[in-house]
Amino acid sequence: MGRADFHYDFPHRSLLSIADLNPLDVQMLLERASHWHGVNRTPDKKHDPLKGLTQINLFFENSTRTQASFELAGKRLGADVVNFSVSASSTAKGETLADTARTLAAMNPDLLVVRHKASGAPDFIARETGLSVINAGDGTREHPTQALLDAFALTERLGDVGGRRILIVGDILHSRVARSNVLLLSLLGAQIRLCAPPTLLPADADRWGVEVFHDLDDAIEGCDAVMTLRLQKERMSGGYIPSEREYFRFYGLTHRRMEAAQPGALVLHPGPMNRGVEIDGALADDEEVSLILDQVEAGVAVRMAVLEMLGEQTRRNEERRR
Amino acid sequence: MSQRFAIVNARLVDPASGRDEAGGVLVEDHHIVEFGPGVRGINLEDVEVIDAHGAILAPALIDLRAGIEPPFTPGGETISSLSAAAAAGGIGTLVLGPHAATPFDTPETVRALGHETRPMRVRMPVAGGATRSLVGETMSEIGLMHDAGALLVSNGDAPIADTRVLRSLLSYASHFEAWVALRPADACLSAGAAATEGEWAARNGIPAEPTVAERMAIERLAALGELTGGRVLIDRISTEEGLEALSRAKRKGLEIGATASVNSLLLNEVDAGGYDASMRLVPPLRFEADREALVRAITEGLVDAVVSDHRPLSVEAKSEPWPEAAAGSTGVETLLSGLLSLVHDGQLELIDALRVVTSGPADLIGLPQGRMEEGAPADLVLIDGDAPWVYRAADGLSARRNAALEGRRFQGRVLKTFVAGAMIHTNDN
Repeated sequence: MGRADFHYDFPHRSLLSIADLNPLDVQMLLERASHWHGVNRTPDKKHDPLKGLTQINLFFENSTRTQASFELAGKRLGADVVNFSVSASSTAKGETLADTARTLAAMNPDLLVVRHKASGAPDFIARETGLSVINAGDGTREHPTQALLDAFALTERLGDVGGRRILIVGDILHSRVARSNVLLLSLLGAQIRLCAPPTLLPADADRWGVEVFHDLDDAIEGCDAVMTLRLQKERMSGGYIPSEREYFRFYGLTHRRMEAAQPGALVLHPGPMNRGVEIDGALADDEEVSLILDQVEAGVAVRMAVLEMLGEQTRRNEERRR
Repeated sequence: MSQRFAIVNARLVDPASGRDEAGGVLVEDHHIVEFGPGVRGINLEDVEVIDAHGAILAPALIDLRAGIEPPFTPGGETISSLSAAAAAGGIGTLVLGPHAATPFDTPETVRALGHETRPMRVRMPVAGGATRSLVGETMSEIGLMHDAGALLVSNGDAPIADTRVLRSLLSYASHFEAWVALRPADACLSAGAAATEGEWAARNGIPAEPTVAERMAIERLAALGELTGGRVLIDRISTEEGLEALSRAKRKGLEIGATASVNSLLLNEVDAGGYDASMRLVPPLRFEADREALVRAITEGLVDAVVSDHRPLSVEAKSEPWPEAAAGSTGVETLLSGLLSLVHDGQLELIDALRVVTSGPADLIGLPQGRMEEGAPADLVLIDGDAPWVYRAADGLSARRNAALEGRRFQGRVLKTFVAGAMIHTNDN
C-alpha cells in the first residue's frame, strides 16, 4: 500500500526524542524538508503556514547557530518568533525552571524551542506547560533536529542511508548529537560504527546495536560517511584526553585517514569545528567530501519541516477542542 | 669481540624454559643461535670461545625501576654512570622511571631520553610519567609518549588520590595496551609516613602508615582495572595483606602485575633501628612476616618482577633526621647479589630468584630478551655463584652512595655481562 492510499497525520505534539518517531514520521519530515530546501534557494523564501502562531526560542545554553537556524525557520514560515536567552536572566535571579516555563506559557505561545544543559529538561517543560516543545539539545541526551538534518544531508548525497556504513567519531560520551544520530540512523537501516578513546565512550555503548572501535584507522575502513564530533575545550586538558595534539594524532580526521573509507566517502561535522583537533582544516574545506555547509543549509529546511508539522498538529488540536 | 662467539662449560640457568644444566651458548649477529649441552668447545671451529669454568650463565637481568637525577646535578647520577653501574650488576635492561624532579611526562622528554640512552651499553627504555609532574591531576600524553618509545607509564612514588583521574588514566592507557605502574599506597594514609605503623614507629614517634594502606590501594586499583580493562602494575608490593589482595585480583583473571623491591626482600623494620637514613625507603621497611610472605610470593609466582628501585640521592638529601630524609637507595649493583643471598640462605631456589629479574619482567612487559631461546637477543650474564664479597658503595660505579645495603656481605657476583652479543662488563679481579 502506497502513501497515497491512506491518510496519516504527523501524530506528535512535541519533538523531544528521535525514539518517539517511526520511519513514516521521519519520511514525512524529510519530504517536507526537501520541499523547503528547494524553496529556501529561491528569492521567495517567506511563506505563511505558521501565520498567527508564536514561537519562543528558549535557550538556557548559548547557541548562536542553532538559535539562528530555528529563528529563520520560524520566520520563513510566518510565525512570530521571540528569542529568550535565559542564562542571563531569570535563573540567574533564582527562578526555578518550572516557574520560568509557566511564566512563558502564560504569554500563550504555540511552539517552544528549548535548549538546556540538563538531560530531560524539554520533557519537563512540555509536561509543566502542556505546550508543543521542540528539543533543541538537552544535556548529553538528544539533539533530534541535528540528527534529522544530518540524515537529510546524507540522503541528498547518498540517496538512501539504509545499508550504508556510517562512522561517528569523537566525544560520544558527552554527545547528544551522537545519541540522536545513533537512534535515527538505526531507524533508517544504516550500519553504525562509533569510535572514541575509551574515556569518551559510554560504558554500555556496545549495547546500542553499533560496532565500537578505539582505533580510528580500523573504524574508518569501508565507511560511506564519517561524522566527527566537536570536542569541548574543557575536555582536552587531561581529564578525558591528555591534549589537543594527542587527540588529533589519534582521532583527528584527515584526507590520509579517509583513504581507507569507501571512494567518495563523505565527512560531516555538527559544528562549530576545532580545526586541527577533531578535523584537519583542509579536509573540512574540501567541497568534494565535506558536507559541513550542506548540513547548515539543511538545518533550516529540516527545522521548517518540524515546525510546520507541529504547527499543523497544534491547529488540528485546537479545531478538535472547539 | 667478534660477531660470532661461544660461551662454553657453563651452568645454564634459564627460568623461561626451566632449564638448569651444563652447556654453552653460541652467539651470532647479536642473537643466540644455539644453546644447550651440545654447544661445546670441541665442535666450534673459527669461533671465539669463552670458557665459563662452570660458572652460571643466565639471561642478563631486566630491572623495571631505576631513577636518574636531573641533568647537571652536581655529583649526580647520569645516564652513563647508571649504565656502567647496571652493567656491573649484571643488568642488561634497565627501565628509567619517573620521579618528581625527573617526571618524564612529555613525549619530547621520552624521545630525548631515547636519543641519550641509545649509545649506552645497557638497554635503557623509559617509563613515561603517567600524570603531569606526577601530581595525579591530569593525564600525560600517553599515546604520544607511547609513539616516542615509552615502554610503560608510571606515576613514580606518588599515589593518585583522585579516583576519577585514576579511572580515566587506566581507561585511556588501555587503548595503547600500556602497563600503568602505580605505587600501592593510600594517598591520605601514607602522606608523610616514614615507617610502618608498629612498635618501632610508635616508640620512636615516627610518622607511619598502617599496612592496610597498601591493601586498600591494591583493592582500589584492582577494582578500577576491572572496570576499565586497564593494565595495572602494582609498583613495589611489600606487605602480606597486600599480597593477599593481589592474589585475589589475579585469581579473578584481571590484567594485574606486581613488582617488589629487592630491599623489601632483604630488610625489615629492625634494620631501621639506628635511625640510619640510608634505610629510609619507599615502601617503608615492613615487619619480618611481610618479608617472609614476599619471599614466598616469589616462589609462588605471585610477584612478576623484582626491581632494584635504584634511587641515587645526594649526601645532603640523606643528611636529615629520619622522617625528613629523602627516601630511596641505590641498588643496581646489588640486585643480583641480594637475590643470590636469599638463595644461599635457603629461602629461594636459584631459578626462582633469577625468574623475577629475567623472564618474569620480560613476559609481563613483552620483551624478547630475558630468555635463552634461538633468535633471542644475546643478553647474558655470567655469574660466579659462590664468590664472597663485601659491598662498599665507594668502590662501586654509581655516582651516589646512599646504599641501604652498604657493608653487606654477599656470596655470588657478576663475572661478565653481555648485551646484544657485546660484552659490556667484565670483572677481572
